[in-house]
Amino acid sequence: MEQDPHVVKRCLAGEDSAWEELLRSHSRKVYNLCYRFTGRTSEAEDLTQEVFIKIFQTLRSYDALQGSFSTWLNRVARNHLVDHYRRTRKDRVTSSLDDEAAGVEQKPSPDEHPLARLEARERQELLQAALDRLSPDMREAVVLRDFQDLDYVEIAQVLGVPEGTVKSRINRGRLELARVLKRM
Amino acid sequence: MTHLELENLASDYLEGQLTADRRARVEAHLGECGSCRELMAGVRHALELCHSAEDLEPAPWLISKIMLATVRARKPSRWEQILALVRPVLQPRVAYGLAMAVFSFSIIINAAGIRLSGFHLRDLNPRTWAYQANRNGHLLIGRAEKYYYDLKVVYEIESRLRQIRQQSGSTPQDDTPKRQAPAGGSTDGTAPDNSQLALAGGWSLLRTALE
Repeated sequence: MEQDPHVVKRCLAGEDSAWEELLRSHSRKVYNLCYRFTGRTSEAEDLTQEVFIKIFQTLRSYDALQGSFSTWLNRVARNHLVDHYRRTRKDRVTSSLDDEAAGVEQKPSPDEHPLARLEARERQELLQAALDRLSPDMREAVVLRDFQDLDYVEIAQVLGVPEGTVKSRINRGRLELARVLKRM
Repeated sequence: MTHLELENLASDYLEGQLTADRRARVEAHLGECGSCRELMAGVRHALELCHSAEDLEPAPWLISKIMLATVRARKPSRWEQILALVRPVLQPRVAYGLAMAVFSFSIIINAAGIRLSGFHLRDLNPRTWAYQANRNGHLLIGRAEKYYYDLKVVYEIESRLRQIRQQSGSTPQDDTPKRQAPAGGSTDGTAPDNSQLALAGGWSLLRTALE
């Protein structure tokens, strides 16, 4: 990640290998962010692709002095996810039943017991379902803090809101998540 | 401490960011209030679930797909465009075809009598092409005919010379040769030999043929 500004420079110079390097080192994070936000693997894949296309087109606007590349990438991804959420709000109401059916596709570990694997999968599905019921503001704050391990300052930069607001959203999001999980 | 105050401090309490005083107040409230204790346990459980959630692995083809949609879709530079145009021409089959086309074209141009150095638009007129091709064709036939007749004459001369040599070779030689007037280029009063005779005969034949 410390190499990012250098890799970005190489990218801007037209080196395809540098872009691939950047893609490989950040695609997993972006994909997980998209998945936690949408709860669907296919949608997360499409969104990841869209985010990276946007990144590719606007890479020149990244300024290393303004913050880390990772934060900038998260901000672009988050804005795209919010746009996507607003765009597909109506569709989501009509297809809520499909959401229930969408499962977590996790690579199984060969050493893991099948029963334990099943339980872990069920827990993850439950967590994702609970996460989907949070409001977008709270969800994105919780995802960035508890799934992406960003600190409050970084989250404030990504969301473009004061640190106090971030803390408040995360706290309310966690409380809401606990209540939803209890009801499930 | 009220329930609402505790709710506001839940995250800070679980992350260990409260001062000792506040922490003690929260714990005192939790000791008294069952619903807040339950809520705090629920938040702790939710946090554990979030932290234990493993990162999902994106599909292996996703990176290739993104690469295809970004780098491959990039507008190629001018040099890349030129190279892309030239690359098919450099294929052996196409290069051979192109060379043959150029060769054929040069033959047609040559037959039509068009000079590229002094090229005029009227040279493109099909009539001019037909006229020049006809003219060049006739010239070619004329040259071929002339070459054929020249060869014929040369062979004729050669065969005559051979005949003369044979005839002169079969004539019996007298011990005392007759003195004869010089017939060819010999002026020394001696009799001309066979080769001189053959040469003289050849020249007269050649003159006849050329006339």
